[in-house]
Amino acid sequence: MIGGVGYRNLRDGSLGPYVSDTLADHTREGVEIEDLSYGPVAISHNLHDRPPYDRVVLVSAVSRGRAPGHIERYRWDGVLPSRDDIQERVAEAVTGVISLDNLLIVCGALGGLPADVRVIEVEPADEGWGEVFSPEVETRLPAILEAVWTSIEP
Amino acid sequence: MCFKNLPIDFDEQGNARLRAGVADPFSYEVKELAPLGSPEGQEKLKQLMARNGHIRQVDFDPVTRVAGALAFHTVVDLESRQVLETDSMATLFRGYELILKGRDPRDAIFISSRACGVCGGVHATASALALEMAFGIHPPPMGIVARNLLLSIEYLYDHPLHLFLLAGPDFSEPAVRETNPELWERAQRSTAPGRDVHGYDTVAGIMTDMTPLTGKLYAEALHMTRVAREAYVLIGGKYPHPQTIVPGGISATIDLSDLNEVHLRIVKFFDYGQKVVAIWNDLVEFFYEANPQYREVGTRPKNLIEAGQWDDPYAYDGTYANADEWGRARWSPPGVIRDGELVTTSMTAMNIGVEEFVEHSFYEDWTGNGNGNGSRFPTDPTGNPLSPYHPWNKETIPKPTGTNWKEKYSWSTAPRWDRTAMETGPYSRMWANALAEHYSHLKYLEPTGHSLKMNVPKAALPGAEVEWHIPERWGAFERNRARAHSILYTALIAYENLLIGLDLMRKGDTKTSVPYKVPKDFRIGAGFWGAGRGYLTHHCVIDNGVIENYQILTPSTWMASPKDPWGNPGPYEEAVHATPLLENYEKPEDFKGIDILRAIRSFDPCMPCTTHIYADSRVISRDVVTCACGLDEDHEH
Repeated sequence: MIGGVGYRNLRDGSLGPYVSDTLADHTREGVEIEDLSYGPVAISHNLHDRPPYDRVVLVSAVSRGRAPGHIERYRWDGVLPSRDDIQERVAEAVTGVISLDNLLIVCGALGGLPADVRVIEVEPADEGWGEVFSPEVETRLPAILEAVWTSIEP
Repeated sequence: MCFKNLPIDFDEQGNARLRAGVADPFSYEVKELAPLGSPEGQEKLKQLMARNGHIRQVDFDPVTRVAGALAFHTVVDLESRQVLETDSMATLFRGYELILKGRDPRDAIFISSRACGVCGGVHATASALALEMAFGIHPPPMGIVARNLLLSIEYLYDHPLHLFLLAGPDFSEPAVRETNPELWERAQRSTAPGRDVHGYDTVAGIMTDMTPLTGKLYAEALHMTRVAREAYVLIGGKYPHPQTIVPGGISATIDLSDLNEVHLRIVKFFDYGQKVVAIWNDLVEFFYEANPQYREVGTRPKNLIEAGQWDDPYAYDGTYANADEWGRARWSPPGVIRDGELVTTSMTAMNIGVEEFVEHSFYEDWTGNGNGNGSRFPTDPTGNPLSPYHPWNKETIPKPTGTNWKEKYSWSTAPRWDRTAMETGPYSRMWANALAEHYSHLKYLEPTGHSLKMNVPKAALPGAEVEWHIPERWGAFERNRARAHSILYTALIAYENLLIGLDLMRKGDTKTSVPYKVPKDFRIGAGFWGAGRGYLTHHCVIDNGVIENYQILTPSTWMASPKDPWGNPGPYEEAVHATPLLENYEKPEDFKGIDILRAIRSFDPCMPCTTHIYADSRVISRDVVTCACGLDEDHEH
């Protein structure tokens, strides 16, 4: 499964939903594409209900102080923070916070994710109100989509 | 006579009128804020903190991205175990009022819904109600039943979250062991009176299972949120932020299968609700017996406001002129409770008594000179006097200046009813219901004037009469106990509406909405509704087919309120100020602030438990799990 994570109408912050929307019409056999921009507790519940995925690829804009437009691709190691930190993230999740970190931590703790989770993060330049990407992220869109497709390869 | 402070009287026909002879009826003088209650207080406080290690500032700062994000500043005396100063800060500017200006009124339903990520459907409905009043339409009975069911289900999602994921961890084994080990010892020896219902032999067993992540009660609450979400989407299609809420009803159809599926889920809350009541009764009584001072944690005057909710499908007509009638016909009638007395159940009296002040908020006074002039609407649509500070007259003008405790310190306004700070919540619903006279929805609910009896049908557990008593002393523990009862209260209202829905279906009366056109002339409207945390209103002014002004007043705004023009604190500030510090600490460095947090969280603010507690030089913050190494490269971590 390929899942986009983020809020809509927040310029670069909306990269995740943009990717899931864009790829939805071009899905490939054996690949599900879904907007995972909702409560991670509910995502965990939903994943538990389904046959297990071989791999989940998550795409999101995450601000970590890197160069704007920078693409980072990695396999999540599944290491969780302390119990208190997890509880904080669950509490954030149920009170409306949607983010890649929350999804990984909450679903990592409550279950539902497969062992193979790939992440594609993009450093946003602007997460303010708006419907268009910043030039820094706009120019990287082909590379981002390519990174997603290569992440589903065996 | 329900107003003591506003110069409003009622004539023999019950019409509100401005008191004769009052020259400038809504004017007021601003009182300068004075720490420790005196003009020299600020300096005295500084000296006290410099001289005494036990008097210190403690800031609770859970910066989150949810609407109504809250930070809390206190000065505590750890020797006398008192809270000396409190300041409540809403740290997030929402700005939905500005976003909505100039838009198609129908956009308000979908945009205002995003004001909160927890209350996923209530803003949409409050908006639809406001538009219905403005458009002159109202839903058919099945549309009202559907809305009532959605509201109930949302609460059935919300209350378990609060009781076991947000407030609950403060009563769990790890928290109690850390902050009051003597209580944990006692809990292990204390048998649980509600054992037959909840299955725990001791209070310690309850506390253990309230432990975050590993506790069975924690996990069960998460599961029950799922049950509620499933019920919600069966009717609403999506949660949060349903796309099916429209002026004049809902845009989805409902069939027998939907109602049956919803039924299966609602009845689960009959058993769960009984269990949760038994758990919180045992917890609350355990703490009171261990130390009667726990009754004082989070205490404040019994001043509560309730906008009313759950419309009678045969009474609601959406008009302001008839708001008193259809308001009183609601399952939860509107009401204002002052010092424990129900002073009105009139929707219009409730509405006209509301004002919002911004002396200590990051906004500019829209009346121009602050003396009550500049009022767009001197009266409501039925001729009742309106303050210039009423939401229909209010404008949102952000002005984040003068940032200090004496001037401005919050993005929340200071809402007041009759110039009195009010709190709201599931308990204001039940409280107004318990005191209501001529109450008509008696199938499962029975107000007694001092309690509310709930006749719970049999599910897996036997049927039972559960009674919520209006507490003698109002505080944090009673808020949680009342919220536990509210699961049953809500489930019973949902169940009755479900039965009405089945009856409508049997009669073939399945229409869920009415057609309408957006009027192009001047209109005003108001949606009086509720959120999980209480009172919710949307006030709109529409002209030329677009929104001219839109004002949202949320429960968190009422309760996170900063001080008002007269220096009176908001409900959180009041409650924390009255809280004794009962935590077990030897050195100031060991202080965790559990009693303060219990007081704040008992209101169920829009604030998760991700509290960054800052105490002088100590800052506890969280780590981010994913690292930022190997940029633009593939790697593993």
